[in-house]
Amino acid sequence: MVDFIKTVKDFFAFKEPKEIEQFVLKEDENEKPKPEEKSDKKQKPKQKESFISKLTSNNHQKEKEKEDKAEDEKSVGISKDINENLEHIKKVYNIPDNGDLVIREFEIVAKDKSLNAFIILFDGMSDSTIINSSILQPLMLLSNVEVKGKENDLALYIRNHLIPHNQVKMVEKISDIIDEVNFGGSGLFIDGIDKAYACDTKGWLQRSVDRPNTEIVIRGPQEAFTEGMRVNTSLIRKTLKDKNLIVENFKIGKRSQTPCSLLYLKDIANESLVDEARRRLENINVDFIFDSGELEQFLEDSTFLPAPQILATERPDRTSNLITQGKLAVLMHGSPFALIMPITNSDLLHSPEDAYVRFPFSNLFRVVRIIAVLLSLLLPGFYIAITNYHHEMIPTDLLIAIEAAREAVPFPSVMEILMMEFAFELIREAGVRIPGPIGPTLGIIGALILGQAAVAANIVSPILIIVVAVTGIGSFAVPNFALAFSFRILRFVYIILAALAGFLGITLGIFVHGIMLVSAKSFGVPFMAPFGPRTSDGIADQFLRSPIWNQEKRPDYLNVKNQKKQPEISRKWTQKEKKK
Amino acid sequence: MIIKLKLLLAIIIPCIILSVLSGCFDAREIDDLAYPMAIGLDKGDDNLLKITLQLAVPVAIAGGGGEEAPGGGGGTSTIVTIEAPAIYSGINMANTFISKQINLSHAKVIVFSEELAKEGIGKYISAIARGREFRPSMFVMVAKGSAEEYIRAVEPALEANPAKYYEMKLRAFDYTGFTTDATFTRFYHNIKSTAAQSYAILASVSKFDSSKDIDNDESTYLEKGRDIPFEGDFKAGSMPKVGDIKSEVMGLAVFDGDKMVGELDGGKTTSHLMVMGGFNYAFITIPDPIKEGFYVLINTSQRRNPEVEVSMVNNSPHISVKVLLEGDILSIQSGINYEDVDKLKVLEDGAEEFFKEEISHYLTKIIEEYGVDICGFGNNMKRNFLTWREWENFNWLNKFKNSTFDVEVDLKIRRPGLMMRTMPVPDSKGDED
Amino acid sequence: MENKIIFGRAEAISVLIIIMTTQLFISFPRLMAESGGNAGWLLTIYVTLLSLFFFMIISKLYKPFEGKDILDIGEYVAGNTGRILVGVIILITYVFIISIVLREFSDGLKILAFEKSPVSFIMIFFLIGMILAAYYGLEPLTRYSAIIVPIIAAAFLFIIIGVVPNFDTNNIIPILGKGPSELFLKGATKISVYSGLSILFLIPPFLGNYNNFKKTGYYSIILSSIFLTGGSLVYSLAIPYPATTEFVLPIYTLARFIDLGRFFKRIESVFLLAWATSAYIYLSIVLFFIVYVYKKAFKLKYHSPLIMPFSILIFTFALLPESMMAALELESNIFRVFAWIVTFCMPLFLLTIASIIKKKKRVKK
Repeated sequence: MVDFIKTVKDFFAFKEPKEIEQFVLKEDENEKPKPEEKSDKKQKPKQKESFISKLTSNNHQKEKEKEDKAEDEKSVGISKDINENLEHIKKVYNIPDNGDLVIREFEIVAKDKSLNAFIILFDGMSDSTIINSSILQPLMLLSNVEVKGKENDLALYIRNHLIPHNQVKMVEKISDIIDEVNFGGSGLFIDGIDKAYACDTKGWLQRSVDRPNTEIVIRGPQEAFTEGMRVNTSLIRKTLKDKNLIVENFKIGKRSQTPCSLLYLKDIANESLVDEARRRLENINVDFIFDSGELEQFLEDSTFLPAPQILATERPDRTSNLITQGKLAVLMHGSPFALIMPITNSDLLHSPEDAYVRFPFSNLFRVVRIIAVLLSLLLPGFYIAITNYHHEMIPTDLLIAIEAAREAVPFPSVMEILMMEFAFELIREAGVRIPGPIGPTLGIIGALILGQAAVAANIVSPILIIVVAVTGIGSFAVPNFALAFSFRILRFVYIILAALAGFLGITLGIFVHGIMLVSAKSFGVPFMAPFGPRTSDGIADQFLRSPIWNQEKRPDYLNVKNQKKQPEISRKWTQKEKKK
Repeated sequence: MIIKLKLLLAIIIPCIILSVLSGCFDAREIDDLAYPMAIGLDKGDDNLLKITLQLAVPVAIAGGGGEEAPGGGGGTSTIVTIEAPAIYSGINMANTFISKQINLSHAKVIVFSEELAKEGIGKYISAIARGREFRPSMFVMVAKGSAEEYIRAVEPALEANPAKYYEMKLRAFDYTGFTTDATFTRFYHNIKSTAAQSYAILASVSKFDSSKDIDNDESTYLEKGRDIPFEGDFKAGSMPKVGDIKSEVMGLAVFDGDKMVGELDGGKTTSHLMVMGGFNYAFITIPDPIKEGFYVLINTSQRRNPEVEVSMVNNSPHISVKVLLEGDILSIQSGINYEDVDKLKVLEDGAEEFFKEEISHYLTKIIEEYGVDICGFGNNMKRNFLTWREWENFNWLNKFKNSTFDVEVDLKIRRPGLMMRTMPVPDSKGDED
Repeated sequence: MENKIIFGRAEAISVLIIIMTTQLFISFPRLMAESGGNAGWLLTIYVTLLSLFFFMIISKLYKPFEGKDILDIGEYVAGNTGRILVGVIILITYVFIISIVLREFSDGLKILAFEKSPVSFIMIFFLIGMILAAYYGLEPLTRYSAIIVPIIAAAFLFIIIGVVPNFDTNNIIPILGKGPSELFLKGATKISVYSGLSILFLIPPFLGNYNNFKKTGYYSIILSSIFLTGGSLVYSLAIPYPATTEFVLPIYTLARFIDLGRFFKRIESVFLLAWATSAYIYLSIVLFFIVYVYKKAFKLKYHSPLIMPFSILIFTFALLPESMMAALELESNIFRVFAWIVTFCMPLFLLTIASIIKKKKRVKK
């Protein structure tokens, strides 16, 4: 009870707003972050900690100690004594319990000395042919061959002459080896050297580059990202052949150490934006992270806004295109989706195909899509508002048809539409979860039989079935899955508001929804730019798309370093005759 | 985050509270309402008003016209008549015995009886202007005899939906020229205007039960000096016709202020449309200028808006109207080769003369007999004034009675139809059409 | 933190347009017809020219006080007392007008679509939107109005186009309406239709430089005058004069006339979306500025805790008039007669004194 009173009090009482680090993309692109701001940023994680500490003040201390211990373990150096290393590795991986770790012990001869060595790797994660031919074979066989090496340091000598593998790192900490091994590499320890070799021998099985599943186009590239991050970065590099394309590496997840990359064009992307992205990526405190969907939730500005603030795409061409606009992309290992930020509302309404088809077609797409958005969001609400409040605006013939159809229906129309929308959501959800072969059957059962039978049984009126079906089709025409999702939720809100007060309710909905959208920011960029805050340029490709030779500038709201995309006249051939 | 959560709650909680506490005050399901398509107002026998409502029966309409009445009519609408002191009190009474609540937002026509209209309908009109539910595009009609009888006689034959029947029938002046666009908006504006008077559509129930009864007693052809009645020489109710469709609309009821003062027949309504510039097209019979007893039919339409000038001559208004028409030949009964460029002029002159006479009849009627400016000539007069006070003091509506006028008609025949000339029909005696 | 918000000219102009033209949807065209006869539109143009003239003087005087709002100038003239006095005057005006507008809009909506709902129910709907928007602050509101103003303008244009068949140019003849003396002497007090301009004297801190301020003022007056003149012109074109003074909601009455064949009739309810939206923006912005002025006048740290109390106050005030007629009467006979004193005379007065003080100071130095 006391708790309840407290929550009520909290709800009504005013509390001083907590200082939350707010990032705003500044107008001045050349403005470099001042030192004070930097210190601010550094302080920020601490503040967060202290905020958390209030919530979990008891556990915190212990956790901190634990963390410190873990830190210590990680920074253990590599001993010269190979047995010590072996013991350590065994302890770390709980060897008798852990079945798939391979520890292969062998001897090598280097500089006329026979040395004990062992290599560790995870079975199945590493490519054994590479290990055999590029690491074990040379070490065990070639070490006998006389090699003219000037190096006195044994470790360097081995690296430079005995291991012909292409990606070998010499490390001094066991944790580095462990990270590498966890990620499909192999670790080579040699007696008498306080260094170890981390070899990249990734060789797990993964899906090959496939056709996109969710963003299907008719005209345009037919490649999609896969789960392997390096494959994905290579796909982007392949599309975007630019020396200024930076792929910055990050590791996210304290324990999972999932590799991530931040991609941007150095001479285009706004520096403070890149800094902000870097800061957010570096300051994610989590144990494990598996998919970019999780990462998105950690990165986004507002959790409660229905609209997505980060765009997920599985298409390398789209990612490259957005990067060239001055946006940033984040790729994560294990996820076939790239995260694009910052985005604005209109990015979510675009399909990659818009750029590939001719000017009139893409504008037809766009118009259809905007109508689809309006339909999927507002149509049921409008239907309820009109049939419950504003009868005079229905054409008399239609009114009589609706009235006749509804005559035998026992439910109020709000109930009717909520029921049907729910049934539709049910079919949709079941359709996604259902095992492949039964899918079409469910569609037929759901759509045909349910709808038909509901009408026949006078549970819903046929006009309502049309409304629900059009709404459903409309929501499928929204190109971004996450956006369509937000509409699916908001549709119910609009239905309820319309049932409450007709068009006035819908207006309230649109007003509050709009205010939320315009106040939202995606990485410091206003979500409704360039309409919300009117910016001067970049409207060439927003709601409608102007001809491709007319899109001269990058969006102004991104404050890119180089706003010009192409010169005034990009079709030089149109000028030819004059020059002659 | 906390603030956002608070905001989210601030949105959801009021919504829940609103929905739980208030319910939905105004929400009415479509099928909880009854929609009258026509409202009839008669002078009551014992009370002030007798209200007739024609309610649509949606189930019958959607079912294709009803099983019991093949002609539509009876099945697709139901008619109730109530005596009450005012429109709303009558609706209140009707609500007690009609299972659904009455909603007037789809009423297509309002019919006043002639008796009521002559007494003055201002008090009812203001109720309609004030009411939100009434459509401004509703047609205002005056029924000769009783409004109830007229509404009961409406039996749509071609369509199941009485609303559609009214909408189609009352828009038919676009191709007949026998009624006008007397919507409520126009009616109301004209009533309130200081420069024009209003008019309504004249409606009635057919007099004749069988084709043997047909006579031309009430036709206006004699006063126009014709041997036979033309198509426009009738008013609603006296049209020489019989059939399943008993109801008729033709002609106008002319109002002085809110009181009806007279009627115009179909032909004069056509002239009214021509002078107003609202004439679309119609088939019009014109006496053959050369061969008496024969007629030429012209599909006439308005070429341009008429040129109207009003000026003060000897302290009384003088109106000069120039009507610009064009037409296509539909039929030449006499077979005279009017298609010939030389002879065309003869036909045009004849037609011009005919229309001039028609319009003169009309203007004489409204100026001399009724003294009511339903054409809005006052609007042209207004141009001579700079301020409203001067115009009000001028008192146009009173001065209109003394107006003089002259009419000019310019008609151009444009096309001959499919035939370029009529060759005579050869027989043993002579030529005939 | 709020002072860091700077919004562009487009946003400021659209906010001012909303503030000045929302009256168009309530009773503005009727008021013009009442005082100008069938020449209400001429009166609008005349009043526009007058207010442009006044604004020209004010903006000239404003030049040395770049980035200062009227409260700052009050402080400059008479210290804390001046600031609080100016603040209280603005507060009283705004609370008065916002309550009346809230009442009028709610009653208007009740008449045109929600006959059976209690007026407080409709008011609560408006209040929810207002309060939420005020919590979000000024920046989203300005952005939202920048998006919405063109849409509302399009809806308005659509109404005009739809009513074109009802136009009769004879309705605006005699051209001078009630006569020059009625129009140009008595009509001068109608300059209060631009009372919304007072918001402009509160936003200089958000606008940045003086040039922006000046241009915002001119553009917003001219653009609003296009709407207002258009509205009253269309109204007097479509309805003959004595009848123009009859209708409670003139533009709604016009929208009822739209008749596009048998299928599209009586679509006036769709415009309810546009009207209610403009009402939402208007009410939210005025509510925000009430709270903002209160905060600034009394040098408080936060404005958000003031939102709830003020909205409850406004809600109560809005319910005070016994009838819609009383509310309309209050607007036309008190607010629209005296608002120009707050909007135009007060800044003129303050700025004149402030410039004299400034000159004296300079002389001393």
